[in-house]
Amino acid sequence: MKKFFARSYDEITPIVDATEQFFKQNSIDPALRTPVDLCIEELFVNMVNYNKETQREILLEMEPVAGGIKVSLTDYDVERFDPTVPRGINIDAPLAERTPGGLGVYLVLKMVDSIHYEYHDRQSKITFQIKGGKADV
Amino acid sequence: MFSIDFNDLGQVTMTGRLDAAQAANAQAFLDQVSGECILNLAELEYMSSAGLGVLLKTHKRLMVGTSGLKLINVNSHINDILRYSGFDKLFDISLLQK
Repeated sequence: MKKFFARSYDEITPIVDATEQFFKQNSIDPALRTPVDLCIEELFVNMVNYNKETQREILLEMEPVAGGIKVSLTDYDVERFDPTVPRGINIDAPLAERTPGGLGVYLVLKMVDSIHYEYHDRQSKITFQIKGGKADV
Repeated sequence: MFSIDFNDLGQVTMTGRLDAAQAANAQAFLDQVSGECILNLAELEYMSSAGLGVLLKTHKRLMVGTSGLKLINVNSHINDILRYSGFDKLFDISLLQK
């Protein structure tokens, strides 16, 4: 599946619908839906929020793999942002020191089985895999 | 679909999916709440980090003089998100009984 989505939060529901359809068509374990939905949303929202120098649509690709799914998001004409680099989130900080934000990519890294980042010609592509038996979200 | 409202017990209920597109709606509703607040999540299927931000901001505001937000009937998926984020140490949480 390859599909482009506009740079808007309004596209989250169409993305969820497309993901649901892809899961059904490819008989992918429904238990993986929530972690896949969450990883796609977090990475998509990150691109929308931080890559404001472009108006180009974001490409979402999915393909079934043994025991799970491989998902890629590609953002065009943007600066490099590698989500696989740890951001130093302190989840043990007390309430007074916690601020909203910053947890999205952290959660992605917690849930995926593998994640890969490519950047070339101002194209930023993130690919992750989630398989059964690992992700419990 | 996402909705937020009060139930007959005076608890705040959320239904559906609390994602980045719905976080502003949830925050606007919770900004009107004062005092101790019970958030009943029995019908909430999904929450992303945008929802976590809403909970955190509301909890910090309500913690001034009260015990803040209490989360009840949390499903296992959302509980995992809360636990991964360290929110299990910040909130009073009770799980949804199957």
